Amino acid sequence: MSFTHALTLGLLPEAMLAGAALLSVIVAVVRPGLRPDIHRWIACIGLVGSLAACGLILLGLRGIRSGVAITAWGGGLSVDSFSVFIAILAGVTALVSCLVSDTPVRRIPARSSALYGLVLLATAAVDAVAAERDMVTFFITLALLLVCLVAIGALVKTDPRGGVSSFEHLIEGTIGTACVLYGLVLLYGVTGNTKLSVVVGAVHTAPGVVALSIALVLLGLCATLGVFPLRQWVGRAGTNVPAGAAGFIIAMSVIGGGAALARVTVSGFGAGVKPWMWLISVIAALALGHASLSALRESSVSRLLGQLVSAQAAMLLLGLLAFSTGSLAVPAYGMTAFLAGLGITAVAALAAYGVLAMIQRAGIEDAITDLRGLAHRSAPAALFLSVAVATLAGIPPLAGFLSRLLLVTSAADAGYGWLAVIAIAATLLTVIAALRFIGLLYADTGDEVPFTLGATPVVSRIVAGATCLAGLVLVVFIQPLLAVANAGAGPLR
Amino acid sequence: MNVILSSIIWTPLLFAVIALFLPERDEEQRGRVRTLALAGAGLSFFVTAFFAILGQIGLGQGGGLASAYQESHAWFWTFLFHAYYDVTADGMTLPLLVVTTTVFGCAIFHSWKIHERVRLYVILILLLETAVNGVLCSADFVLFAAFWGLMLVPMYLLIRVYGGPGARRAAAWFAGFQAVAFVMIVATVAIIIIEAGNQSSDMVQDLKTFSAPAETIGFWMSFAAFAIAMAIFPVHTWMVEAQSKASSGVAAILSGTMLLLGAYGMMRISLVVFPAAAHHYSFAITGLAVVGAFWGSIGALRQDELRRFIAYMNVAQMSMVLLAIGAQTSVALVGAVLLLAAHGFASAMLTLVSGGVEERTRTTSIRAMGGLVAHAPRLAGFWLFAALSVIGIPALAGFTADFMVFAGSFPEHRIATVLVMSSVIITTGGLLWVANRVFFGPVREPFARVRDVTLLDLTVLIPLVGAVLLFGIRPGAIIPVISNGVLEITTRITGG
Repeated sequence: MSFTHALTLGLLPEAMLAGAALLSVIVAVVRPGLRPDIHRWIACIGLVGSLAACGLILLGLRGIRSGVAITAWGGGLSVDSFSVFIAILAGVTALVSCLVSDTPVRRIPARSSALYGLVLLATAAVDAVAAERDMVTFFITLALLLVCLVAIGALVKTDPRGGVSSFEHLIEGTIGTACVLYGLVLLYGVTGNTKLSVVVGAVHTAPGVVALSIALVLLGLCATLGVFPLRQWVGRAGTNVPAGAAGFIIAMSVIGGGAALARVTVSGFGAGVKPWMWLISVIAALALGHASLSALRESSVSRLLGQLVSAQAAMLLLGLLAFSTGSLAVPAYGMTAFLAGLGITAVAALAAYGVLAMIQRAGIEDAITDLRGLAHRSAPAALFLSVAVATLAGIPPLAGFLSRLLLVTSAADAGYGWLAVIAIAATLLTVIAALRFIGLLYADTGDEVPFTLGATPVVSRIVAGATCLAGLVLVVFIQPLLAVANAGAGPLR
Repeated sequence: MNVILSSIIWTPLLFAVIALFLPERDEEQRGRVRTLALAGAGLSFFVTAFFAILGQIGLGQGGGLASAYQESHAWFWTFLFHAYYDVTADGMTLPLLVVTTTVFGCAIFHSWKIHERVRLYVILILLLETAVNGVLCSADFVLFAAFWGLMLVPMYLLIRVYGGPGARRAAAWFAGFQAVAFVMIVATVAIIIIEAGNQSSDMVQDLKTFSAPAETIGFWMSFAAFAIAMAIFPVHTWMVEAQSKASSGVAAILSGTMLLLGAYGMMRISLVVFPAAAHHYSFAITGLAVVGAFWGSIGALRQDELRRFIAYMNVAQMSMVLLAIGAQTSVALVGAVLLLAAHGFASAMLTLVSGGVEERTRTTSIRAMGGLVAHAPRLAGFWLFAALSVIGIPALAGFTADFMVFAGSFPEHRIATVLVMSSVIITTGGLLWVANRVFFGPVREPFARVRDVTLLDLTVLIPLVGAVLLFGIRPGAIIPVISNGVLEITTRITGG
């Protein structure tokens, strides 16, 4: 296959997404009176096409041991099994979000084209973040992701607080991207090159500057991943944006942030640049403690979900640390655990916010006390919400538990026993927070009348329910996910 | 393909899923839900009793780990370690499976006394049964931890939703302690996987020797986790709260099965995986057993609530099991397993009878009761029968168990054994004293019209009576089976 053909195939998923977004905009301009659902189905077709293109790339990757399909622009762009894994994950996340996005679309029927266009662009941005190895394009795609997610939040806002929340997300995200930018600029200043892989050569010449720049980059990427210290936007987005859209914003940001961190640290800096490892371990410890403790004192459902997602995202950092050979003298599986955990986190976040969207649609408010006795009013809603929360909190036998176990064992194997202990203690806190919440759903009777989830369209209900059950199904069929994640982790090792 | 164990584990869950779709608007529909749940629990019991245990007894000497009941399927392998859906039931597991399936069957029968949210009740009970049977049958550390964690939510909700006043606090205590126990089990599993270096989480693997710090940390971590689950002194408070505030059916499950699992885990993991540390710290274990035996038996005497009294009795009984675990001889460990079975039946019976007494007298205070035997002689009879089994009267399940525990422990820890034996005197006195205060003496005016046991009560209690008698009269049939199961532990401890 010629290089041009390979490049075309490598960029086909992104092209499909951009094409679908463009088509949606054209339809909106030419036929403005059409049902908003048209744009949803265009987006879904684009996403399915993108996933099919990823499948084609995977087919092409079967015979390649390195797992790298193409490398273009002097190594700045690398379409490999890692980027394909992230593209598939982002595509599935966007597809599920589109299918459960009935509530936000009903609020803005005239601008549904813009909403789905932004969803597709954000997905393409995540795909690109995972494939970039050049500082400049990496930063651009990261900024594009932030802009898309902030714009989605602002677009579907239900009240002025939603606008303020999006603005705060923008500010926090901008601080994060500014940190990334300053860090990358400093790295460029030291290395004189925009390739991340050359940083290792500068560690000994200017260790202080390299450490500072790495700290800035990691701090900035934490904002995208939604972990301490720049994680306030997670709770705000959950509270002030309709849950269906909030689920997409948070899940996509976690995927994008996770992909970016893996690309920068493991693939870019590698084992030769030590500072990132101890920085990540410190951030992980603080983030786990902060999110888990915060989960215990939350009074709003969406913020509780945000804290649990944040805790789960912080847990992922353990996988990053275990990227080289561990004590068992076998190839480290930290990145496998990281990618599998990323998938489980995204699914669990989508499930939780998807169910919350159905509950919001039925007119229930966001305070935890408003869900008191939910099981009396709607048994399916209580069951689905319990499963989703339990998955996020790491309660067995759901996928969240397995994800945490894999991450903890790989970190312990890599010599981060102390961090594994903190992670286990953090799990204790999230389990208690989740148990308390689930107990409230079932134990106490509320005064409110029963409701059904019938206000939500059938498709959305089925998709949200299926996403919840995925937390259970993934436990039984964890091996296929691990096999794919392992293949995805290959090029990063 | 042998699916006996899988059917024991998953049948309750299957019926729980079916129950999820049944309506419960009127009594007829609720009856249907209960019947379905009973079918699920009953099926699990029959498979255990008639296929598993009888089959194993029939196998004679072949009751060790190489038993007829073993299933193994690869679960995941593209990782640092391989995990398996590996379930097995050796001679140690099978009698305990009989206990759990019997107690759960009785708890489902007890659901006929529940009239609100019946569907949720039976679903949670069936889910819990799946978890409990899963823990007992797991032969993979990850699977063990997953089943263990599965118990958290159903039990928490059962205590909180169906308990009396104060149930919320009791459920919080349960959740707090059990969550700590669970994360310590997860930590232990992580230590085993990393330190054993076999790249496998299979329990049946030939575990390598751990480094001294890993052995010590792993042992104490697992010991503390299972000690919480066993509710031994000083981590018994959650059980006292839960036992006294939960509904009697749920409390019966708690004392009949949950405590048993703690002891089982201690023998299966703390002793088998960390034998050197277990042997090294056996003195500390027996010390805890002595303190716990006195704390439980004397603490019971100070209680005015019937079910708090039973809770402290449980602490004393579990201390006897702990003594056997500390002794680590095969006779003591066989006795411990037998004692767990005997205690499971007797304690569940005591709890259900005390629930019946509270229901009829509308009080939980022992001081307020008295003279019930005049109007409820059969109820008194059931209490005395269960109490006698706990005391260890010949021909009942507790006798052989107590005898073997003490006979097996004495050569290793003489003073501790004598001390624990002397605590049994207090336990015996306490049980008889409470029986005297509740059932005998002058008839109190408020209890003049108390009903005796109903047909439903008989249906719940008679299987337990039968089990206590069976284990008491025919211990010779079951002891060789248990001995084969215990063989692995003693072999590991002696370095074989």
